[in-house]
Amino acid sequence: MNTSKKQASIFSGVTLAALAAVVLMPLLLPSATLATEILIFALAALGCNLLLGYTGLLSFGQAIFFGGGAYVASLTMIHLGFGLLGALFAAMIAGAALAALVGLLAIRRTGIYFVMLTLAFTQMAYFLAYTLSDWTGGDNGLLDVPRPPLTLFGFEISDLTSSYAFYTFVAVMFMLIFVFARRVIHSPFGTTLVAIRENEGRASAVGFSTNHFKLLAFVISGGITGIAGALYAMLLNFAPLSNIELLMSENILIMTIIGGTGSLLGSLLGAGSIVMLGDLLSSVWPRWMIILGIALIAVVLFMPSGLWGGVESLIKRWKERRSGASEKAAKEAEAK
Amino acid sequence: MSDYILETEQLGLRYGAFAALGSVDLKIRRGTIHTVIGPNGAGKTTLFHCLTGERRPSSGKIRFDGKDLTRQPAHKRVSSGMSRSFQITSLFQNLSVRENLRLAAQGRDGLGALAFWYSDTHRSKHLEKADEVLDRIKLTHLANTDAGDLSHGQQRVLEVGMSLCSDPELLLLDEPTSGMGVDDIPVMTKLISELGKDHTVMLIEHNMKLVMSISDRITVMHQGNILIEGEPEEVRGDERVKKAYLGESGS
Repeated sequence: MNTSKKQASIFSGVTLAALAAVVLMPLLLPSATLATEILIFALAALGCNLLLGYTGLLSFGQAIFFGGGAYVASLTMIHLGFGLLGALFAAMIAGAALAALVGLLAIRRTGIYFVMLTLAFTQMAYFLAYTLSDWTGGDNGLLDVPRPPLTLFGFEISDLTSSYAFYTFVAVMFMLIFVFARRVIHSPFGTTLVAIRENEGRASAVGFSTNHFKLLAFVISGGITGIAGALYAMLLNFAPLSNIELLMSENILIMTIIGGTGSLLGSLLGAGSIVMLGDLLSSVWPRWMIILGIALIAVVLFMPSGLWGGVESLIKRWKERRSGASEKAAKEAEAK
Repeated sequence: MSDYILETEQLGLRYGAFAALGSVDLKIRRGTIHTVIGPNGAGKTTLFHCLTGERRPSSGKIRFDGKDLTRQPAHKRVSSGMSRSFQITSLFQNLSVRENLRLAAQGRDGLGALAFWYSDTHRSKHLEKADEVLDRIKLTHLANTDAGDLSHGQQRVLEVGMSLCSDPELLLLDEPTSGMGVDDIPVMTKLISELGKDHTVMLIEHNMKLVMSISDRITVMHQGNILIEGEPEEVRGDERVKKAYLGESGS
């Protein structure tokens, strides 16, 4: 990494690639709903990636923030009459607050004990949601979640009832959060997170109080994941109990790992491939998760930096070959 | 301003019945290179860990620049003006040499580095500091190499360089030549004596040639206590020191 070089703007490079993907997806995929689902899970994977890829924290708590965001957005819309943006804001705050709570206790331990604590919190949150069925609908899920129209300063911009309109809204949210995440990564805070991932002892020795940094990483991750959960509830008009299950945490982690930890585009790629794989295979074969298992094993064994890492090395090889070819052509021209 | 930058007062650390540190009164004068030596198990590393904040002493006090920081956690001592290197090289292996140093410079900001809303290159003072240290430790030509790809000798130099980035008043170096080849040791010796001009340096070291050539003061430790303290010539000639190293304790 060359830090002396003038840093690329957070609006160029991979941001443009993400923008291209966001524009092309609804055109190439069979439905806008599928594309929306991909972007929502890409957001959840993005939040997870901040913890796993950049800070080195394997958190099984992501379902708490996802499910928590979904419930809070739904409940504030149903009972308090919150609008679209208000509900999303409430979900973000809820996700961040839940993450602060989980983070505060879990980061007191490191390694395997940290992982176990996040697992325990997810189990607790699940049974809490199951028990509070008056609020969450329990096993049946929270029904009749509205999708309010998008209004800004009293003007209705879109009613978001068509799947393409909602996709456009989610896509704008995704791009805003994507740029925000890049800002975070290339900030003093983000570079310190990488230092903590690389060598926590040294990070502390040069003066960083590492627990404060881990906690803020949790809060930001929770806020993003909470927004993803809220958007998911609005997409389905329904907040199922499975949002807050351990399986949801696993899915988010698998998307993050398969896509590639430590790269934001990887999260989009990971979410895209898993959601599409599920969509394609679940109708043909109910045991399609077996294939997911095989895919995960293959990626971990043969592509340690994930699908995005694979794509990157292909691009690199192609560039090398091209520059090699042009050099050869230049030499031949010289010889003549 | 006191003559001494660091003072310990009856510093002790017990593990059950075993006293790793008995009662140590160490005074480090401003602007000197002060070396702590002693045979294995003398308590040098325990003393070092108490000074850096890794271990909490069970008795006694540590005063830095007149302030009591006996109970201050390790990371806070950096902003007080104290900085350390590790005996076992501890770098950010997958980051470039320059980024290693830049992060170390950023460390002095403490919680200020929680800022996530602006670019890390926006405030260039940390980068400037990194480049200044790069020049000083003569690794500028390797600025963009990953720290993990450096030779062992270069990694040891970078290890010391990391502790320079926070503009410390006191440098604590834990066996800077640990594991270094004979050819690299003169480089380290020169670097430390250079640093001694701008900083107070306290180091633990085994390489006697280096110790005798650069130290202003030497403290010899033995069985958790200070045996003697003096200038290199005094220590070199002392009978008790010879005995301690030959293992004739108690006779």
